[in-house]
Amino acid sequence: MYEIIEGFLEAARLIVTLDADVMAIALRSILISLTATVLGTVIAVPLGAAIYFGAFPGRRGLINLIQTLYALPTVVVGLLIFLLISRVGPFGFVRLLFTPTAMVIAQMVLILPIMTGLTISALSGVDPVLRDALRSLGATRLQFFANVMKEARFAILAAVAVGFGRAISEVGAAILVGGNIMASSFASSTRVLTTAISLETSMGNISESIALGIILLIIALGVNLVITAIQHR
Amino acid sequence: MVKQTLFAVAAVMVAFLLICGCTGTTTDPVSGEKQQLRIATTTSLYDTKLLDHLTPIFEEKYNAEVLIVSAGTGKALEYGQRGDVDVMMVHDRAREDTFLADGYGTNRRVFAYNYFVLVGPESDPAGVKNVTPEAAFTAIREKGLTGNSSVIFVSRGDASGTHSKEQAIWKAAGFNYSTEVKGSGDWYQEAGTGMGATLEMANEKEAYTLSDIGTYLAYKGDLDLVTIVDEGDILLNVYGAMQINQEKFPDVNSTVAKDWVNFLISDDVQKEIASFGVDKYGQPLFYAAQNDWEKIGVTEAEVKNPIA
Amino acid sequence: MIELEGVRKEFDGKSVLAGVIGRIEEGEIFAVIGPSGSGKSTLLRLIDLLDTPTGGEIRIKGIDIHAERERSLTIRRMMGMVFQKPAVFNTTVSENIAVGLRFRGADRGKIREKVEEALDMVGLTGYGERRARTLSGGEMQRVALARAMVIEPEILLLDEPTANLDPVSVATIEDLVVRINRDLGTTIVFSTHDMYQGQRLAHRIGVLMKGGFAQVGTPREVFTLPATREVARFVGIENIVDGVVVGENGASVVDAGGVRVRAGRLPGPGEEVSLCIRSEDLRIAPADAARAHPGKNALPGTVTAVVPRGPFSRVAVDCGVPLSSVLTWKRVDDLDLREGSRVVVSFSPESVHAVRRD
Repeated sequence: MYEIIEGFLEAARLIVTLDADVMAIALRSILISLTATVLGTVIAVPLGAAIYFGAFPGRRGLINLIQTLYALPTVVVGLLIFLLISRVGPFGFVRLLFTPTAMVIAQMVLILPIMTGLTISALSGVDPVLRDALRSLGATRLQFFANVMKEARFAILAAVAVGFGRAISEVGAAILVGGNIMASSFASSTRVLTTAISLETSMGNISESIALGIILLIIALGVNLVITAIQHR
Repeated sequence: MVKQTLFAVAAVMVAFLLICGCTGTTTDPVSGEKQQLRIATTTSLYDTKLLDHLTPIFEEKYNAEVLIVSAGTGKALEYGQRGDVDVMMVHDRAREDTFLADGYGTNRRVFAYNYFVLVGPESDPAGVKNVTPEAAFTAIREKGLTGNSSVIFVSRGDASGTHSKEQAIWKAAGFNYSTEVKGSGDWYQEAGTGMGATLEMANEKEAYTLSDIGTYLAYKGDLDLVTIVDEGDILLNVYGAMQINQEKFPDVNSTVAKDWVNFLISDDVQKEIASFGVDKYGQPLFYAAQNDWEKIGVTEAEVKNPIA
Repeated sequence: MIELEGVRKEFDGKSVLAGVIGRIEEGEIFAVIGPSGSGKSTLLRLIDLLDTPTGGEIRIKGIDIHAERERSLTIRRMMGMVFQKPAVFNTTVSENIAVGLRFRGADRGKIREKVEEALDMVGLTGYGERRARTLSGGEMQRVALARAMVIEPEILLLDEPTANLDPVSVATIEDLVVRINRDLGTTIVFSTHDMYQGQRLAHRIGVLMKGGFAQVGTPREVFTLPATREVARFVGIENIVDGVVVGENGASVVDAGGVRVRAGRLPGPGEEVSLCIRSEDLRIAPADAARAHPGKNALPGTVTAVVPRGPFSRVAVDCGVPLSSVLTWKRVDDLDLREGSRVVVSFSPESVHAVRRD
């Protein structure tokens, strides 16, 4: 019990004094996951739209597959990306293993299915009457797509927020492809909130773990608040 | 307003990506950029903070950036075999030899050693204080197998150097590890994690475990575990560093890797290693290998000759 | 303007429209009325190119609108449509109304001007910057109407536009429909299950039943001279008596299970007909006070029920055939009508409308 209280006090100190290491880890976490989310959005939203608006054989099956991949275990993604970018892997020559870029890629792959799937759901959620209204108002195909997406924008934004939440809270892929490196330069390091918590706990640095955990919790809560706020628009 | 903010965020993203992309994809020394050295290390060297202590000195001296991936020896060897790192620092002579023989590694140098210790609860339920390591293991297994639940042994169980050493001790005590020890009962539990975490686990369970002395000392403050057995030739723990073979993986950074290995066996660093932790723990966590090559059974060249 | 030529539509093999034939003239308000599920919405959606017919042709200004896909956008842009469910885009009222103009690439100044005009027209001046989702159902439907009208369509399609609205909003929308037609000359086709709305607004009514128009005519024609028994029932004629035309003393009368009823115009003897008599055309008098009216129908009977209905009472009488009329409470009291009272029900042959039964 004493350990937990002490841990919390120390954690509060680390956060309040903006401890350089802790802040760097938090900032890196946010940057990496935000980048993965932005890239994921750039792919998932158009992809989701294409699947939603498209009519092709196997469409239903594809949507089912995407929904199944929501539950993609993070370590499996980590392993897959690891095998691809490890130097003996097919993309080894790019030398991405143990870089933040690798983590961005892994997190992006991890969140693509859920963001694509939620984009499809978001578009399906648009009132059919509004879809009829758009067509009856003389929308071209392109204007129709654009306006349906515009109508679903808050739900799509929620999908993006869900993606970010999943990216920043995952640890399996981050540790496998990032390696949890704390280098002297910010950009070369791959230690993020989740991997740091994992390491600090195993090293017995409970207070650092708690501090990092609190920050992660705050970010996750923030994301959830954003999602809730969006969904009430 | 919203658009401007979004644009700013996007700009930051792109910039960050570019930074990551550049540092991630280029390791050749281009126009004054720092060289990157990727090290896969056994957890004991990392968890004790020895590397945290040494890397700033190296980075300063060689204008390099050191990226350390801390993993058990088994995983470190795997990274080495895949060419994902430039240097490996491990402590498992037998597997190192295979690794070198297979041509993955080259230029091994031994830079430090210490001893493994058998640690356990102060009460010592197996009653093995200060016996030989082999006798202690035998007794723990016997008591454990009787179903006396207070005797537990926590193994790293992660193919690390420490795990290798543990298996060697079981073998020396006359047991077949995979049939007579592993999975033989609740008394034998595999942690499947690093040394620090394994010590924490043994502490929680009031169990025995085998640890390198360095990690144990570094964690001792948080633990109720005490040293049970710390003498016996078999407990010797030798740390070696080696380059990943450039012939096998042409794009490893062999120059800075060579610098690192030579740095470790240099006189100054050997002194640093020998004195590391003395101020904090009252005793060194590691011994310098430089002058004790006979004692630890390696060649003089392996501790003294810099890589050409 | 719009010609419907055997329009058919099936959904998953289930026939909804089975050969609709009709013609909507330029500048008229045409109401499509019919019971729920009769295919009113489907017909309007087919006209607006939101669905494709299974068979038949829909021609607008002589052009088969479903024939060429390339032209469908041009054709659709001649029309505006308002849907049953009030639905607005999740943005401001002004942006909602501007959507159609943006699709047509109108410049900003024109959009602002047009949107203001449209807001004035539907009585939402000053609502432009509000979020459309915060409006009431009636206001939303007015936005939807403004949205459809701002593009100046030649044809305005309204699919049960007031079905979910409060009475005040209904009146507002109805008023707007009449004004749009009168001031702009827009051809308006609207569907409703409310026959009185059809009567109030339409120049002509098409009664859609069993997949086709059972009758097309002016409201007066439809309400007084229903073409079929079903139409009669739908337009609210309560007394429908089935019988056979027989000759009697050189004139034709209808024999309805022994009861003889004279009617103004009848087909030849032997035809099976349904007689439609509006309740308000029936007179009820106590049996003892009844005076003989030569040439009128006068059927003796017994009151079977007196049911209050608003300020009136509906009095059901068994005269061998069931008939009912609507009387004021006072009249019911004066005549001392109650269950079991002996009465005579009288009505003129001219108020009897006979339709052939199939």
